[in-house]
Amino acid sequence: MSELPAEPPPLWQRLLSRQALGGWVLAATAVVSLLAPLGLDDAQLTIYVFIGLYTMVVAGLSLLMGFAGQVSLGQAAFFTIGAYTAAILTRDAGMPSLLALAISTTATAGIAALVGLPLLRLRGHYLAFATLAFQLIVLSAISQVPQLTGGDTGLTAIPTLSLGPIALHGQFRTFIFAYVVWVLAAGVLVMNRNLVRSRPGRGLRALATSEVGALAAGVPVTRYKVQVFALSAGYAGLAGGVYAFFVGYIAPETFPVLLSVQFLIMAAVGGLGSVWGSVLGTAGVYLLIQVLDTVGTAPGLPASAPAIFSYAVYGLVLVAIMLYLPQGVLPAIQARLVGRRAVSAVEAERSTRAS
Amino acid sequence: MLEARGLTRRFGGVVAVDEVSLEVAEGELAGVIGPNGAGKSTLFHLITGHLRPDAGRILFGGRDITSLGPDRRARLGIAIAFQAVRLFRGMSVLENVMVGAHAWSRSGFWEAFFRLPRHRAEERRILDRARRALERVGLGDSADRPAESLPLGQQRIVQVARALCGEPRLLLLDEPASGLRAAERERLAQLLASLRGEGLTMLLIEHDVAFVTRLAERITVLDHGRVIARGPAAEIRDDPAVVAAYLGQARERASA
Ligand SMILES: Nc1ncnc2c1ncn2[C@@H]1O[C@H](COP(=O)(O)OP(=O)(O)OP(=O)(O)O)[C@@H](O)[C@H]1O
Ligand SMILES: [Mg+2]
Repeated sequence: MSELPAEPPPLWQRLLSRQALGGWVLAATAVVSLLAPLGLDDAQLTIYVFIGLYTMVVAGLSLLMGFAGQVSLGQAAFFTIGAYTAAILTRDAGMPSLLALAISTTATAGIAALVGLPLLRLRGHYLAFATLAFQLIVLSAISQVPQLTGGDTGLTAIPTLSLGPIALHGQFRTFIFAYVVWVLAAGVLVMNRNLVRSRPGRGLRALATSEVGALAAGVPVTRYKVQVFALSAGYAGLAGGVYAFFVGYIAPETFPVLLSVQFLIMAAVGGLGSVWGSVLGTAGVYLLIQVLDTVGTAPGLPASAPAIFSYAVYGLVLVAIMLYLPQGVLPAIQARLVGRRAVSAVEAERSTRAS
Repeated sequence: MLEARGLTRRFGGVVAVDEVSLEVAEGELAGVIGPNGAGKSTLFHLITGHLRPDAGRILFGGRDITSLGPDRRARLGIAIAFQAVRLFRGMSVLENVMVGAHAWSRSGFWEAFFRLPRHRAEERRILDRARRALERVGLGDSADRPAESLPLGQQRIVQVARALCGEPRLLLLDEPASGLRAAERERLAQLLASLRGEGLTMLLIEHDVAFVTRLAERITVLDHGRVIARGPAAEIRDDPAVVAAYLGQARERASA
């Protein structure tokens, strides 16, 4: 123990510290997301809604991959399940939309828990492949029961969100959806942040680097893995349900495997395990995709141009991140500003090689 | 408090632990010694549940825990500081130690999401115990460093702090002094003596015979997976079988 109390770091450093930076991003995100809808037209608002929905999915995926060290290549499957459950419950069973949303979210999480229980006992990349397979199974199952799901044609005329007798229609529909979606996204992010800083969050981070150590410390490793998998699926299911209400039309082709890859890239760009990075990663990659689509559909280009563009760019973005910013974009910026994490990462590398 | 009956564990053709029985009384600091590959660490992993025995039973506080997983055993009060360090990368020393509190704390996902008052109180308690455990092992000043940045010897001590943060009833220490400098060793010896003074039951594996005989009242000697001697520390040193198996090898190594 040193006798002198430690000198507090200068103010600018405290304002840029890891915790404070999280606070700044939070505050900026809150202000921007509150004000943004006021200045956007309907098309832009739609993009805004999608970014909010995808942020929820990516926030869960980032938690799963960054903190529990598990990879899901089929996160869109849970988005799909959420969307179909919410659609069928409202459209065909006549359930109020909020109740349907609650049920579809819970059901998606429940399905993930059932699927995850056997898979998460396995190590390595089993979960990655199994989730990919799971998505293919979900999509083909949807095609198999057209009486329920509309088969390949999909479901149309899905009711919109409503609260009691008030349904979201008319001129301000997209505008209000934007707020609803971002309130939900903010809720998801705050839940994540709280989780990460708590006992179970530390347990998750622990098991990502040493299951043996985590078990020895009393961390119920399998249970935590299943829970975080179910949680990430629940977020995706919630987003999927809102998506169905917002768009009003879903079909198997709405949820291609490529969507799962997109989620993965968004999470990687934002930084695996970086709660606020999910927002930036999602927004950045989504906007990039929009730009590419516009460029790809320019007159004179072949019809397959958008797809080729997006695949090429996904590949490039992933490779660039792995090479230059393996911890993700937001954490890398923080490291530049604060300079601390970079040091510890180097030391970490050195000592893992030494031991 | 701990009773192992006829524990056997094979790896392929190797019988790492061969019908080992062991009893540790409440409040005792028992030593386990033996040459390299004698099966000491394997015995510990059988006790903590990281390995399953091929035969034999383990009783803890009179309860048969043979079929319980390691995390369940940790929550019953069995803690371990591994020989091969198992810390959590990317987490500070303090956070590593805080993970140890899983043994007695209970907040789950829901409590964490909504930061309920009970959860917040528990978080404060966890932080407090972790800090105290770190001070106790003498690493209070390293609390905010990344755990992997410490020298390996000190990482073993972080594991001891992590174990202590779980407030164990039985603490297994697998060569905790290896990689420590003389002053750090002395500090560890004092820590173990004071923990014993508080009534904590401990099992200690150590290569340094002087270190064990000084601390442990009773010692079990393993060789090729079998117990070849057991008894008070002073007698063990002079036991011919032990001299042959263990000290002989140590002399070999010393002269090599
Ligand atoms: N996971 C494993 N797989 C295969 N063999 C193992 C495994 N763990 C231990 N062994 C073998 O079991 C025997 C006992 O090993 P153990 O690590 O228990 O010895 P030890 O007494 O702790 O040795 P040391 O003093 O070197 O730490 C050795 O022959 C070792 O090679
Ligand atoms: Mg050993």
